[in-house]
Amino acid sequence: MTLLAHGVGSRTDLPIPIGFALYGAGAAILASFAVLLLFWRTPRLGGSGSGRPLPAGLQRLLDGAPLRRGLQAAALLVAAFVVAVALWGPRETDRNLAPWVLYVTFWVGLVPLSLLLGPVARVANPLRLLHRGLRGFVPARPPGAARLPSLGLWPAAGSLLVFVWLELVHPDRAEPVTVAVFLLGYAVVHVGLALWFGEDWFAHGDGFEAYSTVIARLSPWGRRDGGRLVLRNPLANAIATPSQPGLAALVVVLLGSTAFDGLSRTVFWQTGPGSSDDTLSGTLGLLVMIAVVTALYVLGTRLSGRMAMQDPAIQPARYASTVIPITLGYTVAHYFSLLVLDGQTTWILASNPFGVDGLDLFGTYGNRLDLNAVSSDVIALVQVGAIILGHVIGVTLAHERALLSARRARASDQLPLVIVMVCFTLGGLGLLFGF
Amino acid sequence: MPVRPSRLPAALAGLGLAAALTGCAGTDEPVPAASSTSSSSSTSSSSSAPAAAGQRIEVTVTGGQVTGDTGRMPVPAGEHVTLVVTSDARDELHVHGYDLTCDLPPGTPTTVEFDATIPGVFEVELHDAGTLLLSLQVG
Repeated sequence: MTLLAHGVGSRTDLPIPIGFALYGAGAAILASFAVLLLFWRTPRLGGSGSGRPLPAGLQRLLDGAPLRRGLQAAALLVAAFVVAVALWGPRETDRNLAPWVLYVTFWVGLVPLSLLLGPVARVANPLRLLHRGLRGFVPARPPGAARLPSLGLWPAAGSLLVFVWLELVHPDRAEPVTVAVFLLGYAVVHVGLALWFGEDWFAHGDGFEAYSTVIARLSPWGRRDGGRLVLRNPLANAIATPSQPGLAALVVVLLGSTAFDGLSRTVFWQTGPGSSDDTLSGTLGLLVMIAVVTALYVLGTRLSGRMAMQDPAIQPARYASTVIPITLGYTVAHYFSLLVLDGQTTWILASNPFGVDGLDLFGTYGNRLDLNAVSSDVIALVQVGAIILGHVIGVTLAHERALLSARRARASDQLPLVIVMVCFTLGGLGLLFGF
Repeated sequence: MPVRPSRLPAALAGLGLAAALTGCAGTDEPVPAASSTSSSSSTSSSSSAPAAAGQRIEVTVTGGQVTGDTGRMPVPAGEHVTLVVTSDARDELHVHGYDLTCDLPPGTPTTVEFDATIPGVFEVELHDAGTLLLSLQVG
């Protein structure tokens, strides 16, 4: 059994040096006030109409059915293969690629992929293809379609909560059979719900698709209101995120779960509240971290909203997109090393997925994991850099958002939210330092 | 992606390396099981040549309870580590990351030696029981 805090893996990161933690904390606080006091005083980032349109031919190709169905079919084949390996491949986690594919290559790899290429999990979502194949058997008008817009991203937040619980808490999370059951169950549930709510269900309820779409908000790929594909400043892309019910919930689930992952690696957790290392302590720890993040976020946005004399109904939803970069910074800090180090396992095992004697498709099966591929100094630099960069972008977006809400927004109105962001960042650095 | 270049002999070389590393310095020296203090047994076994230098970590498992150098053990990078494990039940020792495994006969102190050349935090556990013995913090 290979059971570490994040499901699979042979190692966790060293605590970052105290100097890194202190410099990072200082930089975060300084940057926050620099943004508040020195940055622009009227909205500067372009709105949803900004960006440079792609050539029409390229857009037809990217939005066209052949490319999308092709990618979805390829993803479906890969997913079916992974389920087959999980069910009939080697029984040990160390020799079965399924857990590594799900928790490392797919879940962690989705982040850089979406950041570079946009919402890949939407474009290549294999469940959309399954749904298309099956929807001929049900009434043409999905009975639940009218209710979907009001649900917003709440179903996706729930879907992600289930996944992070599996990834971080479930005692058998690293077992190949668990992975197979999860993937099959996920497909059945979401295709079933899509038959009820219509194909738009995937955008609202499929956690992976919503996760990829939220991260893609910080990619250079955007869309104007009319659907025109554009290349634009990622900050403008993020600020143009449509306000949807549940977006804030989705963001705090992601931030809280990453915070719990960090917490579960600390000596404090391992010798204190989490020493029993069971489902109950893990579940409570995960829920408490999400609750803490939620409480801070709601408090900061409501106070900022009240100081700006906004309608109380506007918050806490209005600022949700400004927390996306902070969530992304946390994610990179916690999972970068997992992807580049333990992530090698997927490619080693892909050379002989079913553990057949003598098979070595790519000549990589005998390779050993190179855990020195990235030095611990580089890892620590990436971790602190990601947290600080995410923080600075978050504060900048919040500043712009405040100016968009009220033309003469005072810097002091943003103070509660900025203080909450500083709390998230100091908390993140503290977890990396291990307190 | 971080797949190293495919070389045909890599498989054989890798397997050979794995075999060399997993072979543990099984101790059938007659150390009495009652020697509970780590200092006394460390001096008694210092006869085996290179083990004298470096860091010695010793744990005992009795009825699922781990005693000795448990918890987070800091080890400087590059240090020679001598890990001595005594389990009252037959099990297999597994040092994650370094991927060292070693059979533990019941009641017999078993020694695993290696150079801590990979930085990071690594769990050391009993494979069958799943008991966490300690975490090595190398760096």
